[in-house]
Amino acid sequence: MAAKRPWEAIRRALLGGRLSNYVVYLGFVVVLVFFSIALSDKGFLTPQNLGNIARQTAMVSIMAVGMTFALSAGEIDLSIGSVVALAAMVVAVLLRGDGNPVIAVSSGLGVGIAIGLVNGLLTTKVRIPSFLVTLGMMGIVTGLARAITDLEPVPITNDAYSFVFGSGDVGPVPVLVIWTAVFVLIGHVVYRQTPFGRRVLATGGNRTAARFSGIRTDRIKIATLVISASTAAIAGMLYAGRLQGARYTLGENDLITVIAATAIGGTSLFGGRGSVVGALVGSLIMGMLNNGLILMGLSVSEQIIARGVIIIVTVALSLREARS
Amino acid sequence: MVARRKAMAAGLLLTLALAACSSGGSSQSSSASGSGGPSGSPAVDLNAKTVGPNGEASTSVADIPALTSDEIAQIKSKHYKAALLWAGAGTWYNAASAGAKDAFAELGITVVATTEANFDPARQATDVETAMALKPDIIITLPVDPVAGKEAYKPAVDAGVKLLFIDNGINGYTAGKEYVSVVTGDHFNMGKTAADLMAKAIGDSGSIGYIFHDATFYVTNNRDRYFKAAIEQLHPNIKIVASQGFTEEGKTQELASAMIAQHPDIKGIYVAWSAAAQGVIAAIREAGRKDIKVVAYDLDATNDVDMAKCGNMYGVALDQPYLEGQTLARLGAAALLGKSAPPFVTVPVKTETRDNIEQIWQDDVHAAPPPEATAALKKPCA
Repeated sequence: MAAKRPWEAIRRALLGGRLSNYVVYLGFVVVLVFFSIALSDKGFLTPQNLGNIARQTAMVSIMAVGMTFALSAGEIDLSIGSVVALAAMVVAVLLRGDGNPVIAVSSGLGVGIAIGLVNGLLTTKVRIPSFLVTLGMMGIVTGLARAITDLEPVPITNDAYSFVFGSGDVGPVPVLVIWTAVFVLIGHVVYRQTPFGRRVLATGGNRTAARFSGIRTDRIKIATLVISASTAAIAGMLYAGRLQGARYTLGENDLITVIAATAIGGTSLFGGRGSVVGALVGSLIMGMLNNGLILMGLSVSEQIIARGVIIIVTVALSLREARS
Repeated sequence: MVARRKAMAAGLLLTLALAACSSGGSSQSSSASGSGGPSGSPAVDLNAKTVGPNGEASTSVADIPALTSDEIAQIKSKHYKAALLWAGAGTWYNAASAGAKDAFAELGITVVATTEANFDPARQATDVETAMALKPDIIITLPVDPVAGKEAYKPAVDAGVKLLFIDNGINGYTAGKEYVSVVTGDHFNMGKTAADLMAKAIGDSGSIGYIFHDATFYVTNNRDRYFKAAIEQLHPNIKIVASQGFTEEGKTQELASAMIAQHPDIKGIYVAWSAAAQGVIAAIREAGRKDIKVVAYDLDATNDVDMAKCGNMYGVALDQPYLEGQTLARLGAAALLGKSAPPFVTVPVKTETRDNIEQIWQDDVHAAPPPEATAALKKPCA
């Protein structure tokens, strides 16, 4: 019925009937244009401010890449915020004195891989839903991050580490932007162009069918949870480098932002459908909102309300399109 | 379908438009003359002495008589028990805990429970109930919520436990009846002192940003209010050109980078406490601005390293958490002997800048400063 209307015809012609894949880009443009006009005299479009947004969203973008894999395989990872804190603390502690950066970074990444592996094994072998496994893991890891220095923040004075992990610029490009680009690029290629990516989607889309077609769905699920926790560990190390220190509160509010960014980007919370580039754009939308609402001078309460409304509207549009 | 989609798109635009409209109002409040602080600042009297949450006059910690050796012996013989029920966690809490525990140890009092409510009033109510199972004689606590606390601490009050508060009081409680005493920093003076630090940091003239705690909390509200008033009344050449509130420590980085982007002329940023300053410093660093100085409150290992490295952190005003913990413990013990206590006790404000980092850590936290700070202090500033 709807197809008879002219707009529907144009849409089909332009987008092959799958606007859902593009809603996030439309949302991005709407938010960008809106803030550019509304904040034209308040410095929203200055290179400095756009650079701020790019840097501020880097960690969430990287975690959103990982979350896209986990969600696409039909799992969820609630432990990422706590992994951020623990990886940051581990790196900072190991860098103390004349700590070897290679050991510190490997250990930080190791934290992510190990936690992802445990999450994956408990989910697939013990058959506990990942929602509950990672909820429990969140508690364990948060506790460890607090205990490791008895709540004291740990400064990082290794300038090379801080440069590579967060504070540096290569020419005019902030290191954080390079990290984001690398993760999104690799994530996108793996997700779209490799057999692994197709298996992830198949596992999340219809596990039984996937298994009958010879996919070892357990392995796929474990792998996606390892990817998710590892991106969180990288994000933690980037926070530590950017702030030149770690504290146990790092990442504690990131989980919701990451899920929101991923969902806005068109990834289904129930598996089988997703987009890495969409997750990046979703993260940039969240970042622009944060930044723009602050520049507007909104109070904290107003900012929170506006963000909530915009998340619901964007996800609603994307889901409606997916169903239609 | 199309119509509904259009309606939703219109809704999105409407939301954004509403956001823009409401910004008209609040961006004014965050302008130079702004009242964009907690509860505004209608004619703050800078000469007033810090008063308690219920208007109690303050007594300085120095005026509290020490326990006699007889009294100490008497307390020791009773083998009392105490519990420490904190609102949050970190360097400041660790120092307050250490002060209380050391004083209790001298008095033969055992600490049977230490809890942390993560700023959740419901969690704190549970903590009180749980601690009561261990039958403490003294509870030292930082109440998360002065209103909900009335019910939360009731089990302890009913059992006749000597209740002592740090920083916050409880609405409707009377000193000497439900609780013994409130011990806290000299908030008004802390705000004024932070303003003086800011003046020193930027040569007493220029534009600054003001990042305040956007929530009802007695200590932070007092400090923020007095900082702002002191800048306005005592430092006429300093202008607050940007003012932003926050509730989550992690958000201050975004606030500060927005401030620097909008007001590149700012020379200093005030932020409501030290852990929240870390994000501000990161934002300044990323903007490549070595010249912007930061002033806050309380010790913090990471920021103190930046201070030692001659970075953006200029200084902090601080209360003395170790002394506060110690004082609470002694007042609690005295109360067990039936001695009365002043209802509201303040400890004097101190300042920390690069010159006295090591001394301050020794005196007020009873711990060595972070080794990175000690190392950085050996190199003179360029």
